[in-house]
Parts: sequence; structure tokens; C-alpha cells
Amino acid sequence: MQQAARLAAAYVGTQLPIATWAAMPASGAADTEIERLLDQIGDTILPATPGSPGAGEVGIGRFVLYLTAECHPPETAATLHEALAGIRRQASRRFSRDWSTLATGEREVLLADYEREALAATPERKTGWLHLKGLILLGYFTSEAGATRALRYDPVPGAYRGVVPLLPGDRSWAP
Amino acid sequence: MASHPTTPGARTHTYDAIVIGSGISGGWAAKELCELGLRTLVLERGRDVQHPGDYPTALANPWDMPHRGRLPHEVVRANPIVKRCYAFDEATAHFFVKDAEHPYVQEKPFDWIRGYQVGGKSLIWARQTQRWSRFEFEGPARDGLAGWPIAYDDLAPWYAHVERLAGISGNRDGLEELPDGEFQPPWEMNEVERVLQSRIGAAFPGRRVVQGRCAHLTAPAAQHLALGRSQCQARHLCYRGCPFGAYFSSNSATLPAAAQTGRLTVRPHSVVESILHDDATGRAAGVRVVDAHSRQVTEFFARVIFVNASCLNTNLILLNSRSKRFPGGLGNDHGLLGRYIAFHNYRGSLTAEMEGFGGSYYSGRRPTMPMMPSFRNVRRQETDFQRGYMVFFTAYRRDWNRGVDEPGVGAGFKERIARPGPWEIFMMMQGETVPRHEHHVRLAEDRRDAWGIPQLVTSVGYTPNDDHMVRDFLAQGEEMLARAGAKRIHGTDDHRNPGLDIHEMGGARMGREPRHSVVNATNQLHACPNVFVTDGACMPSTGVQNPSLTYMALTARAAHHAVAELKKGSL
Repeated sequence: MQQAARLAAAYVGTQLPIATWAAMPASGAADTEIERLLDQIGDTILPATPGSPGAGEVGIGRFVLYLTAECHPPETAATLHEALAGIRRQASRRFSRDWSTLATGEREVLLADYEREALAATPERKTGWLHLKGLILLGYFTSEAGATRALRYDPVPGAYRGVVPLLPGDRSWAP
Repeated sequence: MASHPTTPGARTHTYDAIVIGSGISGGWAAKELCELGLRTLVLERGRDVQHPGDYPTALANPWDMPHRGRLPHEVVRANPIVKRCYAFDEATAHFFVKDAEHPYVQEKPFDWIRGYQVGGKSLIWARQTQRWSRFEFEGPARDGLAGWPIAYDDLAPWYAHVERLAGISGNRDGLEELPDGEFQPPWEMNEVERVLQSRIGAAFPGRRVVQGRCAHLTAPAAQHLALGRSQCQARHLCYRGCPFGAYFSSNSATLPAAAQTGRLTVRPHSVVESILHDDATGRAAGVRVVDAHSRQVTEFFARVIFVNASCLNTNLILLNSRSKRFPGGLGNDHGLLGRYIAFHNYRGSLTAEMEGFGGSYYSGRRPTMPMMPSFRNVRRQETDFQRGYMVFFTAYRRDWNRGVDEPGVGAGFKERIARPGPWEIFMMMQGETVPRHEHHVRLAEDRRDAWGIPQLVTSVGYTPNDDHMVRDFLAQGEEMLARAGAKRIHGTDDHRNPGLDIHEMGGARMGREPRHSVVNATNQLHACPNVFVTDGACMPSTGVQNPSLTYMALTARAAHHAVAELKKGSL
């Protein structure tokens, strides 16, 4: 893990994560297409809202593929790809169209349905969905834009205050 | 020295004192011995870690880490032991021993978590620092177990001594079962923790919730500032090393203080193979060191040797220090060395939700949490298990993570999970385990490490007493949370391996009688009094409180005793 330490040290104050992921070698046209699909799924689950970008904008597709390859057993990639194939099949079944042509509202309906079914389905299917959604949330809320704009990020709080009123609109502290 | 070859140039290899290990207790030994005038050599088997330059991840943002804090699968797969440690992640992994680097033999499963570097585990400890109470020193003898040769009052002035330099935050709570100390200002509780404090206190007379006491500077004094330490910034990224020097570590506090005397030498990459016994004088003459990289063997000599290699490694070094006089290991006249190893029982925990309080939040990240001193078997035996447990808990609002399990997609979902969720409570036990003769470590007969030193065999486990204690905690915890108004209470016995508590103790336990103990009331080997053991190895019982502050106090006390004895000429 000296490597991780070295990497982390090298990144401090120099490179942003978007650059980090983008700098990773893409491994061919198939992956670029999957990356785009993941960006679109990311943007459907966590779209741009006033003040913060959507997950696609922080390069979530590359992050999901990178973390899946790096931090999970080899078989997890197959589970992820099965979930993506299932989402595409659902597009054909439900809208008789390819996912890429669906409007934002249609994608939302599709993913909400897919999630509901996945959570009630076989363990493998449930695992695939939770893996996908979990990495999209992790990648987004720990990205610079997600942490500082969708959440509140305070790297050096200076003190702990035990009781602070939560005002309407106040966001969570980023970890 | 008949049995050992003497290193050429022995004169330049001679110090007044040698300290083996640079962690929490070794750092204290070095500081006290240097300040009392001894030229002191600290031997550390790991690399050097300079404060604060060698904390490469200390200022990393979440997005600066390629895996966002997670560990690559290859690392997890290669480290089935250390991966279980809660503090081992992408930002801290460089301070932990990897499984393959230092193998040992688990006769019974034992997760041995180690930090081999200057500063040892003082860089990655959890920093909770309560004094032990008189009940913890007196309790084992009451229960027919091995008694302590010292009482709370013997240690109280030394607690005060180490607290002042370390900087311990806490309230003066006035509890006999949790003595007050020399405190920095306390950390606050949040609203739900305050509610739990008052409701549990009201429903269970005698059970007190207090704020945790931790080794963090909340109002640094001149002596802290003089060492370059400053106030805790409530980042709670402590396991990466603190660039503010706000929590106590050897690197930020004791080693700099020792260095200021001009009498300190720290030698990293120095694996201590054994302590050399001079059969003619009946004293230890020095130590034999294997260079971690070149494997070259060197010897160093001193009049006093402090063994602070961490509990199990201290046992290993003593067991491997065989001579004509001590064929079974240094000071091991009665076959007790390596025996009566105990630890803390962390198996039980509960989660719960607290409804309401939606308008209350907190800011900053606190390095401690509320706690309850033991309320079982404190003044008399009350339960079907021996000894007791303390409780830690914390209340917090769920963050975006809840969105993984909580169905939803789209703008409304994103805006909802970006805001604080319901309050959740986490509660855990820290239970005393009873040291037993059969729970031991010993040297492997057929396996050696890369430095030619026998590997350690661990044979330490749970007993039915521990099972009963877990059951009691889970029942009491559920009842306390329910009476306090919490909902959806869920208890778990995770059956974790011993060792993951990182509170292993014993093997060279203190006692009055040489027949029943390895070191005396001032931490000297009964049979070789210029060797002092002041880390976890010396503990005859584990208490319910975290042990590090007690190691510090025992070490400072022993160091002053050593220097007094040297002055009298009796060492």
C-alpha cells in the first residue's frame, strides 16, 4: 500500500479526480459506450440541480468502471454488466426504444421500476443494482463538485459544536 | 557476556539506557529517561516517521484519493487479518503492518494488528484515555484472580504527570468508578446524546453517561505549544497522522521532548533479536539487533533496558532471550512468561434510530464519543459472569449513504439524500476478559521470520464468561435504548477474533510474588531487575477502560524508579 500512499500524496493539491479518472486509459470502444451509459444512468439518479452538477458531469461512468475493476472481486464486473444489460432490456420492453433515445422523464420511470423490481428479485440482481447505485453515490458525493456543492465540505472545522440548528435547505456535511 | 560475541567497538555502542520500541510506552520511557539525564537509545524495528512531514495523506480531500478511501481488492485479498481493522483504509494503510510482511502462527484465531514505524501504533490509536479506577485494580483479587501489586493511589500522581503533557480532554464527572484527571476542556455532546444521557440516567439510577476522555488538545498550554503542538481542528482524520500535533503521539509529543534534552538517539530499522544476559552479574548487558534491511547483527549495551515492543512482541523478545541462566526466556523462572494473555471483548454492538430532533444538527467531526463506566460487578459480584464492561455510544444523522438502500432516483431523491437524514445510534461494549493460564503465546519451533527470529504462536481465545458478558450487554443495551425512547433497536454479536480490539495485554504480568508473576510492582523483571516491562505485557488484568493512559503512567513511574535505583547504585 505504499503505492496508494504515494498516489494519494502525488494527488494532494495537484490533480482533481475528474482529471484522474479521465486520465485513465479507456480500453476500447465498447468501454467508452458503457461509460456513456453509466454517465447517463448517473445523471438520471443524481441529475444536475440548482447549485450542483449531475453525476455524469463528474465522470461517474469511468469511476464506476475503475472502482469495479480495482476494489471488487473479478466476478463483480459481470454482475455490473448484467445490471446494465437488464436496464437496456427494460428500455426495449417498456418503451420499445433504445435507452439512448429515452427522454429524462422516461429514464427516471425506467430506473425507478428497475430498482423496485431488483430489490424484490434474486440476490444476484439485487446485488448488481446496489453495486451500481452505491458506486454512483460514492463517486458523486466524494467528488469535488459533489462534496463542495451538493454537500457542505469543511476540511478544517476548527471545533465541534454539538447543537446547531438545521435550517431549511441546509445540506449534510461531507465526510 | 560469556555466551555472546561482543560487537567490535562496544564502547561506541554503549548508552545509559536502551528502550525497545517507540510507540506510546516506549516514547514515554525515552522522554522520562532523557529528561532524568540518561543517554538513551530507542530501537525501532520499522522505518522513521517524522512529524509532520511523513503524513502523506493528512491533508488529502476525499477526491484526492483514487479509490475514495477504499482499498484495492488485491490489497484486501492479500491482507485477511489487517483488513478487518476499522482504521485500515486507503489513507492510512502505510501505517499498518501487512499480513505477509510479518507472519505468525494462529493456534487459535487472533487478529494481531501492528504498526511498525517510529511512533508505532501511537499514530493510529483510537486515543481514548480514561484513568482506571480503584475497582479495576482491586477487582481481580476480590474475584480470586491474580491481584495487582499496586493500588490506584500509587498510580494517581503518575496519571496526572502524563495527562499534563499528553493533553487529555474531559469533564470532571466526580465518579469513583471513573476518576477525574488533569483535563483539557471537554468535547460537547449533540442533542440526541444529551437526551440519552438524561433519560438513561433517570431510568437507571447509578448508571452514568459521561463524555469520553481523549488525548486531544482542546486548549493547548505552553508546554504543548513549545513542542509545536496545537489545538485540535475537529477534522477526525487522526489515523493519517495529525499535522497539527493535536492528538498525542510519540512523534508529536514524547520523542520531540526527549530529543530536546540532547540525549536521545532513535535508531529505526533495528529489529531486536534478544536481550543479552550477563550470567556473571545477573543483569542484562544489552540487546542484539538485526538490521531490518542488511540483516547485519549489532549489539548495544546499557545499564537499564526498557522493553516496550508492544504486548506480544515484548513477550516474543523476552522468550527469545535465552541464556544459560534463563533457558526458557529472560526472567522466565516459573514458566509464566507468555501466559495469561487477555484482551478486550468488543463483540457486542447495537444500532437504533431516534425519531424526531429533525431540527438539530452539529458541526465539525469529534474525536471521541459518550461513554458509560462499568455498572456491572463494580462493588460486588452481581451477575453470572465475572468482571464487567463499559459502554461507548454515539448519535449521528444519516448521510447520503442511506440513498443506497432507500429507493429513489432523480432530482427529488438527490436533494433529499444530500440533507441530513434520521438520527441513528451506535452503541458498543468494551468488556474485561479474564486472563487464563492456557491463553498464551510461545515461540514457534519450526518457523522463523525473515530476520531469523522464531515466529510467535498465538493461543488466545474466548471463554463462556465472555459469552455471558456479551449476552448481558446486548440485553442491557437494548433495555437502555428502549427506555430512552429509541426505536428499531438491533443488537449483534459479531464473534470477532480476539486481537481486533488491539488491546492485548499480559504475558509478563506484574505481581508481588516471583512465583506468580514476571515483573514486580515497579515493572522490573523479578529475576533480572535492570530490565523493565511497561507496555501491555505487564498487565495482570485488562480492566474495562482503555489501557494506553495506564501504560503511560506505569512507564513514567518505572522510569523514575529506574533512575533512582541507578543513583543508589542498586542496578
